[in-house]
Amino acid sequence: MSESKSEALREFVEAAKTLVNPALSDYKKKGGKVIGMMYHFIPEEIVTAAGMMPYRMRATGSEGTELSEGYFTQVNCSLVRHFFDSGMRGRLSFLDGVVSVNNCDHIRRLYDNWQWKVKTPYMHFMVFPKKTGKEQVEAYREQLEGFRSSLEKSFGVKITEEKLREAIRLHNETRRLQRELYELRKADAPPLTGTQTLAALVAGTCIPRDRYNALLKQLLQDCRAEKGGNGWKARIVVMGGEIDEPKFVEIIENQGGLVVGDALGYGSRAIVNDVDETGDPLAALARYQLVDRPADPRIFGTTFDRNDYVVQQVRDYKADGVVSVRLIACDLYGFEQVNLSKHLKKNGIPHLGLEIEYVIDAVGQMKTRVQAFLESIAEAKHDNRN
Amino acid sequence: MTTATKKGLQRYYEYRDRIAGLIQSIQESPEPNPVLIKFFTLVNEQDKRVIDCVENGKPLLSSWYGSAPEIYSAMDIEYFCPVDNILAHQPFTNDLEGMDAANIPQDMCGLIKLGAYGVEAGIVPVPTAIIAMLEPCDAQSAIHEAWKNAEGWRDVPIFALDPAYGVGTKDYAYFAGELRRMIAFLEDHVGRKLDWNRLREVIEVTNQQYAAWGEYNELRRAVPCPHNSFVGGKLGWVITQHMKAGLPGAVEIFKMLAFDAEQKVKAKQGPMPKEKIRVLWADLIPTWSDAFGGMLEQEWGANIVMDFQSYAAQYDPIDTSTEESMLLGLAKRNMAEVPMIRQARGKVDVMIEDITRIAKDYKCDCVIFPGHVGHKDQSASIGFLKEACRELKLPLLALTVDNFDPRYTPMDVLKRQVGEFFDAHGLGK
Ligand code: SF4
Ligand code: SF4
Repeated sequence: MSESKSEALREFVEAAKTLVNPALSDYKKKGGKVIGMMYHFIPEEIVTAAGMMPYRMRATGSEGTELSEGYFTQVNCSLVRHFFDSGMRGRLSFLDGVVSVNNCDHIRRLYDNWQWKVKTPYMHFMVFPKKTGKEQVEAYREQLEGFRSSLEKSFGVKITEEKLREAIRLHNETRRLQRELYELRKADAPPLTGTQTLAALVAGTCIPRDRYNALLKQLLQDCRAEKGGNGWKARIVVMGGEIDEPKFVEIIENQGGLVVGDALGYGSRAIVNDVDETGDPLAALARYQLVDRPADPRIFGTTFDRNDYVVQQVRDYKADGVVSVRLIACDLYGFEQVNLSKHLKKNGIPHLGLEIEYVIDAVGQMKTRVQAFLESIAEAKHDNRN
Repeated sequence: MTTATKKGLQRYYEYRDRIAGLIQSIQESPEPNPVLIKFFTLVNEQDKRVIDCVENGKPLLSSWYGSAPEIYSAMDIEYFCPVDNILAHQPFTNDLEGMDAANIPQDMCGLIKLGAYGVEAGIVPVPTAIIAMLEPCDAQSAIHEAWKNAEGWRDVPIFALDPAYGVGTKDYAYFAGELRRMIAFLEDHVGRKLDWNRLREVIEVTNQQYAAWGEYNELRRAVPCPHNSFVGGKLGWVITQHMKAGLPGAVEIFKMLAFDAEQKVKAKQGPMPKEKIRVLWADLIPTWSDAFGGMLEQEWGANIVMDFQSYAAQYDPIDTSTEESMLLGLAKRNMAEVPMIRQARGKVDVMIEDITRIAKDYKCDCVIFPGHVGHKDQSASIGFLKEACRELKLPLLALTVDNFDPRYTPMDVLKRQVGEFFDAHGLGK
């Protein structure tokens, strides 16, 4: 779909390209408070229930990591180096608070450094268990209780059970709408490209919720009135972590592959399941993050589920192959491509593994590899037809 | 393929025979070192126990450091760490080349890469069950999942210990719960019951072992330091983490080491003619430590008097009065005292406090931070480290190495970097 045909899509694409979008600016001008979610596994619903806006932190538009150099080294993932540089430059100074968990070895120290040097007015850290289980859900629920009290105390708000339930319903509504968008991608000629879809999902983490849901409904309407293009060389599923840069998908699509599905942190993994709306809301939120969501490698013991999840995406979205991506120096994703590659081979699914930096450079090399991969799929399809 | 190769035993036979040969050559040397003879005899026995388990179908655990090995002993279960011998025998094998050829990302810790390669290449026996430890680094979690994806390991039952992040009573209680769940898992999958009285006996021995190690470490504070770089930690790590827990011989080794050190301290005698520089090595001991330590000693009269792996002064004795106190004590020991898990798990504070304390207690003249490629958390602590060294008024050298791959930063490059650093700060003059 061209952006000129859908106002909503245009707003999403723009929002994903910047840190501060117009809707966010308006919200701030009216006195709204914004809490930065430093990476994932943090239930945004609690912030919404506190009457504030959750914002998934990014470093989009970062041009370098000079200000990180004294605090991180080259063995650290470029994502945290760009985040910290952006923090030091005040690019994220619109945040009234930051909350994080010990997501990975890099992020937990990003938090320590942030607290030391960037000093966002409100800071809170939670401990996220490294595996799933009854005891771990209980332990994380306790952490969420602590987060709730800390927000209440620091911002003078009251987060009641009812407000939490309401927030869960609101966020579930977002997920439901996003899933509808994903359904459209199953078509032979989907109305949205993968690049546009990822932009729409990233936008959901930085536009105030009510406006976002309204725009999403509008986009769905626009899409239903639209037929997508044909002529793609192959339908692709992408797999990776918290990739917030639609450009990565764009590179694949510019080479003729249509990204129809994904197993990305900002993508399907964030939306396929809802948070349980019954019972204790904090327990439901803890369970959602640890058990219900499709896991990423941070949660130990889920390797086979993760492998199967990717295969399932391939089947559901009638994809021809998988492109997986890992940020250089990321240990959590260290063996992910190796494990997945074996599994996809067993299932006869072509796979290409890429390693990238947070700010995508070396585009030329990536293009060549993607192109060769897509050609090989196209040839195999051709041979199979003959 | 021979049966031994099939079972991953071929390598263990080589390890066993190589160590036996080494013991013999030490015994036949003009001045046999009794500590080393004792140590390698324990290592040899450990290898023989692993072989016996595989040959005779007895239960054998794959385990990782910081997993409370006292419990295994009290359940009469043998265990091994799949990467331990691969590292120990590195100079005699072509595993590094094998690792290069394997499909593993280059930017990970060499230990992890070698461990993944070892299992994939079938040079490690398939265990009866696996106990994984999920701290202190992301890569440990990743390697255990990689093993689950390896041929033959998929169906091996696994239990992963999830340590808490903090150092409070609640954190230890959570991990004690994890240890309880581990015991239940072992009872189910290995079919051996935990004998709490036996656990008490084992812990009483390991309490003595850590106390003796602590005493030895105290002696390393002396000027000059009585022994060479890394001595205590090199033996101590293997004894406490990769060997059956509760062996009386282990206590003896530390006592012998301490006795020897004490004589040298009394005589004001060090391992080199004149100790000129006292170094704190802020990390684990690398596999290339002999070459590096030797170079420091010969070129500059420098001695690494303390490192994270040897820093056992923090081990508290475990109260063995009740089941609960034993589990809580083991939880604290394994979460907050075992090297690396101590300094890398949790917030940055512990690492910085340790460096500050070690630097003062051991009268260090400088800090070398190796910047091991696997230690992403430590590399992201470099700002804190610089600040701490500034406050201590101690020069800091930050390198980038792989502690487990001598090729990553060649020795001549290290020699140049260290030389320039010592020169720039007028150390050893
Ligand atoms: S890409 Fe990996 S290393 Fe980087 S922040 Fe994410 S999980 Fe951590
Ligand atoms: S040496 Fe460090 S990076 Fe390597 S496995 Fe151990 S804790 Fe992890």
